[in-house]
Amino acid sequence: MAPVLAQAAAGTANTAEIILFVVFGAIALGAGVAMVTMRNIVHAALMLVINFLAIAGLYLALQSSFLSIIQVIVYAGAIMVLFLFVIMLLGVDRDDLLVDLKVWHRVGAVAGVGLLAAALLWGFSGTYTSQNSRCGEQAPATAAASRSAQACVGMDAALAADDEGSVGVIAASMFGRYAFPFEAAALLLTVATIGALILGKRTEVHQDDDPAFEPSAPVPTEEDLVEAQVGAPIDPDDDRNPAEPGEDV
Amino acid sequence: MPIGYYFALSALMFCIGLAGVLLRRNAIVLFMCVELMLNSVNVTLAAASRLWGGPDGQVFVFFVIVVAAAEVVVGLALIVNIFFRRGTLDLDAPRLLKG
Repeated sequence: MAPVLAQAAAGTANTAEIILFVVFGAIALGAGVAMVTMRNIVHAALMLVINFLAIAGLYLALQSSFLSIIQVIVYAGAIMVLFLFVIMLLGVDRDDLLVDLKVWHRVGAVAGVGLLAAALLWGFSGTYTSQNSRCGEQAPATAAASRSAQACVGMDAALAADDEGSVGVIAASMFGRYAFPFEAAALLLTVATIGALILGKRTEVHQDDDPAFEPSAPVPTEEDLVEAQVGAPIDPDDDRNPAEPGEDV
Repeated sequence: MPIGYYFALSALMFCIGLAGVLLRRNAIVLFMCVELMLNSVNVTLAAASRLWGGPDGQVFVFFVIVVAAAEVVVGLALIVNIFFRRGTLDLDAPRLLKG
């Protein structure tokens, strides 16, 4: 009875994995396309949040629950809040630059990316999509059975050996073999924090500091100011970057 | 469920992010597309970790997330500075890197 139950459980688990993969994969791809094509930047950022949450679901299907939680907390939480904060701080929620692309630029980019996608899919088919590379459908000892196809070992044995599940498996590796990279990552985060603090300080821009400095809105000279008082028409070519309140001194 | 389907999905997501990098000119959107590409590679690493039954791929994903967080912090600070200097996020507008 127990093997039958185990088989049934394995069968349902596999069905659940397929459902998880199809649903979250479709959401991830759709949200990605929506993010790339959306004009409103805030909406694009929210689409990216949906994409990150779908990827968290994919991590669940891949038996890595720790990564799923990290993805929700760090990516969908912290990083996207930072993005939305910057978008709203700068007040740049509309992106009209998407429309004034050259046609050959657009066609070339889409064709090149399509070619890359076709090459990648062609490379992945065969070795990794054969019957042998199915996870959770055969005994994990078939690695040497077939040389032509990469057999899936699966995380079941590693997860069963550790009481803590995915967290314990990763922790044993991270604080053992990868202890030095872990410390380096901590150092990297500290350096990034200090760098962001220094970069975030407002400094006075001087033209001599930056030889290529081009103010986006031309700084009005004395003559312009006189003309403006007389009532000269505004240059119609100059509407892409409207003058900022701080610069029309 | 062959593991190659995960590879194919993340390859498609990588290509979507690459198309965004090539097509968009807004610095913030471009940055978000780079995040999408990083995430698709993370899915590949997690799938490979399952394929070989070891935790190494998942540890790498953790490190990629750490580096991405540091990159976002510095990159967004740079973008804010560029916006305050030039008043635009159009990446074709600054001529700083053109000889």
